[in-house]
Amino acid sequence: MVSVLLLVGILVAVFVGYNVGGATTGPAFGPAVGADAISKTAAGVLMTVFFFVGAWTIGRRVVDTLGRELVRDPGVFTLEASIGVLFFIGAALFIGNFFGVPASTSMTAVGSIAGLGLAAGELNVAVMGEIAIWWVVSPFIGFWVSLIIGRYFYSALNRRLAMVRSEGPLYRLDQSRRVPVPVPTDTTNWRELGGVAMVIVIGCLMAFSSGTSNIANAVAPLVGSGQLAMNPAIVIGCAAVGIGTVTIARRTLETMGNDLTELPLTAAIVTATVSASLVIFLSAIGIPASFVIIATMCIIGLGWGRATRPITVADAVRGEESVPLSVDALTADEEGETLPPIGGEDPERIPSASDLFDPATTARVVLMQNIVPVIATGGAYATFRFVPIFGL
Amino acid sequence: MVSRVLVPMEDSEMSDRALEYALEVYPDAEITVLHVVGEPSQMWGHATGIALADDLEDAAEEHANAVFDRAREIVADASGDVDLETAIEFGHPARAIINRAGDYETVVIGTHSGSIANRIFVGNVAEKVFRSSPVPVVVVR
Repeated sequence: MVSVLLLVGILVAVFVGYNVGGATTGPAFGPAVGADAISKTAAGVLMTVFFFVGAWTIGRRVVDTLGRELVRDPGVFTLEASIGVLFFIGAALFIGNFFGVPASTSMTAVGSIAGLGLAAGELNVAVMGEIAIWWVVSPFIGFWVSLIIGRYFYSALNRRLAMVRSEGPLYRLDQSRRVPVPVPTDTTNWRELGGVAMVIVIGCLMAFSSGTSNIANAVAPLVGSGQLAMNPAIVIGCAAVGIGTVTIARRTLETMGNDLTELPLTAAIVTATVSASLVIFLSAIGIPASFVIIATMCIIGLGWGRATRPITVADAVRGEESVPLSVDALTADEEGETLPPIGGEDPERIPSASDLFDPATTARVVLMQNIVPVIATGGAYATFRFVPIFGL
Repeated sequence: MVSRVLVPMEDSEMSDRALEYALEVYPDAEITVLHVVGEPSQMWGHATGIALADDLEDAAEEHANAVFDRAREIVADASGDVDLETAIEFGHPARAIINRAGDYETVVIGTHSGSIANRIFVGNVAEKVFRSSPVPVVVVR
């Protein structure tokens, strides 16, 4: 009987891992596949390998936090309760993928486990508080770093990274050697090769960071329950992620439904580097990080920094930069302000880039990203509190 | 006699109907089609993508031209020889439309027909315009 339950638990964990693999390959390797640098299969394989490395090295710290520290008594992770928690995480992933409302898997996982802990009266408030503080601080770090990059360095970066793909394939397999190795074809120039290599390396960095923070979402409840040891759990979780990366990820790579792909390549690289670094740092100190919110704040910071950038006269004269037409547009229209009478407003109101970053609207978007985790927390609490089948 | 009409349009059937309605009811009016680019999206990628473009206006036009072409088709189909004005604004659709509305006598807008994600991140644009517009609003459904 118990073994059947454990099997169900593992199956649900595999389902979560499978969806994580599907959902994270797009953001990580979308730019590389889009630039024809690697095939989708190669993206899936690289994703799996680096996810595993991240999970095995740093990811276990987050598993510890979620499975053993967030609740004072890991005994609350009965197999039934673990399956319940995994179910909430899986449901959040499904909603995110299906309705296009990105939801942080890590926040949902913490929320569901906190709901469980609260219902059982075993929530470790100190650990929860520490996690919550980092959730507030880390997006702001991402925002400021990206803001500075967007305002002062983006133009230069963009010029340096401008990647012009030449005609013809990037490399061919040299069959004359004992082990076939890819060598650049005649049409490939060094700059192009460097650009391609960088896009792939950053994809691997993203995959690594995803492994450090996401493995816990799939296996922490089972590890917490004591039914599955850490190492086998990580291996099983990564295998499930691997299946996701070569199956459903093909579709997410194809449809490019991800908002990240609307960004120019340089911006995607900056966002990926900044947010992956933050996620790895948080995982290293055992904090489950929310990639979605960190990345969103990075994107907003980058765009807003760029929209409000100072422009040197030389740049403007040379025509290398389009001059922002109005710098105070951000404050021009406050909510609730009485509107000018008919015809009273200057008809030549010139739109400017800073109109794209209305503070109230950006705040709304970031708040809305918390909807799914909040619902999961409430749902988990209510379920574990009032439905008496979890052996609490 | 209404002579200046603003028709905010996005790429949707509802905004097509709004333009058809405006052409039918205000045949003699000067109609301006407004398209708002850089609206809020799940991870703000759309707006930032535009903000990062080298030439903001080019990037905006690239996004807006599909909508304007569709609008001209609708005018042609209605066999009207109406002179269509076009305008582009940035940012949140409701706010941008309300900012512009003061220059016109009437706003004709389609009910919002966005996806769930769109509802969550952008909200109901027609409703917001209807509530805060300084001029009369016709909501077409």
